[in-house]
Amino acid sequence: MDLNELQRDALREIFNIGVGRAASSLSQIVNDTVLLSAPEVMLVHREDAAKVLLGSEFPQFSTVSQHFSGAFDAEAMLVFPESNALEIVRLMVGPHMSVEELSEFEQEAMCEVGNIILNACMSALADLFHLALNGTLPVHRFGDTESLSFLSGGDSQMVLVLQVDMTISQQRVQGHILFLLSVASMQSLLDCLDTYLREQGLL
Amino acid sequence: MTMELECGTLCTVIDNLEIGVIILDADRRVVRWNHWLAARNGHNAEQSVGRLLLEIMPEIAGTRLAQAIEHAIRDHMPSLLSPALHGTLLPLYQNAEDRQRNRRMQQLIHVIPLTDAPLQAACLIQINDVTATVSRERVLRQQAENLRRNSFVDPLTGIYNRRKFDELFALEFAKAQRQQKPIAMITIDVDQIGAYANCYGNEQRDLVLHDIAAELKLSIRPVGDILARFDTEKFALALPGVEEKAACLFAENLRMRISTLQIANESVSTGKQVTISLGVAVMVPEAGVDTHTLLSSSDVALYQAIHEGGNSAVCFSVEEGTFFACG
Repeated sequence: MDLNELQRDALREIFNIGVGRAASSLSQIVNDTVLLSAPEVMLVHREDAAKVLLGSEFPQFSTVSQHFSGAFDAEAMLVFPESNALEIVRLMVGPHMSVEELSEFEQEAMCEVGNIILNACMSALADLFHLALNGTLPVHRFGDTESLSFLSGGDSQMVLVLQVDMTISQQRVQGHILFLLSVASMQSLLDCLDTYLREQGLL
Repeated sequence: MTMELECGTLCTVIDNLEIGVIILDADRRVVRWNHWLAARNGHNAEQSVGRLLLEIMPEIAGTRLAQAIEHAIRDHMPSLLSPALHGTLLPLYQNAEDRQRNRRMQQLIHVIPLTDAPLQAACLIQINDVTATVSRERVLRQQAENLRRNSFVDPLTGIYNRRKFDELFALEFAKAQRQQKPIAMITIDVDQIGAYANCYGNEQRDLVLHDIAAELKLSIRPVGDILARFDTEKFALALPGVEEKAACLFAENLRMRISTLQIANESVSTGKQVTISLGVAVMVPEAGVDTHTLLSSSDVALYQAIHEGGNSAVCFSVEEGTFFACG
């Protein structure tokens, strides 16, 4: 299973609408320009997703995850290298702090940032595909790749990986959004995508 | 036999929860407004039902909470509003006094879509009072900040302590080594401070040390120069980028500045004033040379100055191995 060029371009466009909306919400919160873009979309097997993340050479991650269900089921996860997540919280909340000092207070802030971005991505899909998706509340965790346990399950699952560039207070921070889908759910998503492309007269 | 909780019981349960609960219908009108919320917001629970939330709390228009409600009702997406980013979003107060002073409680808000709920419920807003957590957090952070500060500042004089000096000096020394630029080191000793303390007492001695540190601090460049108290009467000063001639002039200038303070000292036979001695050494550190070489060179110069009777500034030329007076 792979994305053809048209599908990849369409998904990139849809997710950029999503992260664009998230950026305006975040800008409003911090009273400063926050820019978000998703320059890269790829579809990989579950076992290869960790390699994409490890490619960033950071062993520790901050993750915010939410489960979405409906026409297709997806585990969505915003992943930042831990230092980048700290940088985001620092830029948004203010004071200087280290990981040890990062309290519930800042973890909740990170959780909210993830919530805004993930909701916006899934809403963009739901809007354009005319379907209803339900989401759970976000959960925030710190950990290494091994703790990204959902990437190491046995059954064959696909992961849609978005690279995310965030610019806040003129600092650029990079991360990824992962959507983990069963093969059946991935197929449903691609079917929705093809229907959308047909509607647009592109297929 | 299975028993469904009847609606009235559920409403009683919601009213007695120790968190704030607002339930909205698809038209954004209030279906339920629990007692906890009424007590902290001032809006009567019964009177709130059936009204638009924006009517009851107009100030939420355009906020992230309003967006989150739309997101929940329209897109079925739940949201979390963290106290770190929103804090006191809703006009909720712990008590009447806080209300009078407009001191809102810190809030953690969850906005949850109610997709398969019967009746007309479409959105649940859940509010937790996290004021205690947030203020505890502030206290802890302040304490951590104080500890961090105390770990590098000398409490008597307010300038850096030895530990912080060593750390900063090593960085500047390495920079000078990399860029092949000079770095000057001046060690300063207050002359006869033991005799002064015997004559005037330790408290008065501390005042003098404090004043001398303040004078030294006024003389240095606020960025780049590193001033620290090494032990009781000894100060150290590192001047990155300063050459030997300029360092000597600076040391001599410091000596004169302290003598113009005219702090009386009857315990000394000549001058009857508190004076300082200074040792200067400057180098462009070559590869492999460490900070110790420069520190000990300025120490050697300082001993020479003290040996010569104090109230003087002496430079030790590292290259030539000779002493000369700065003045």
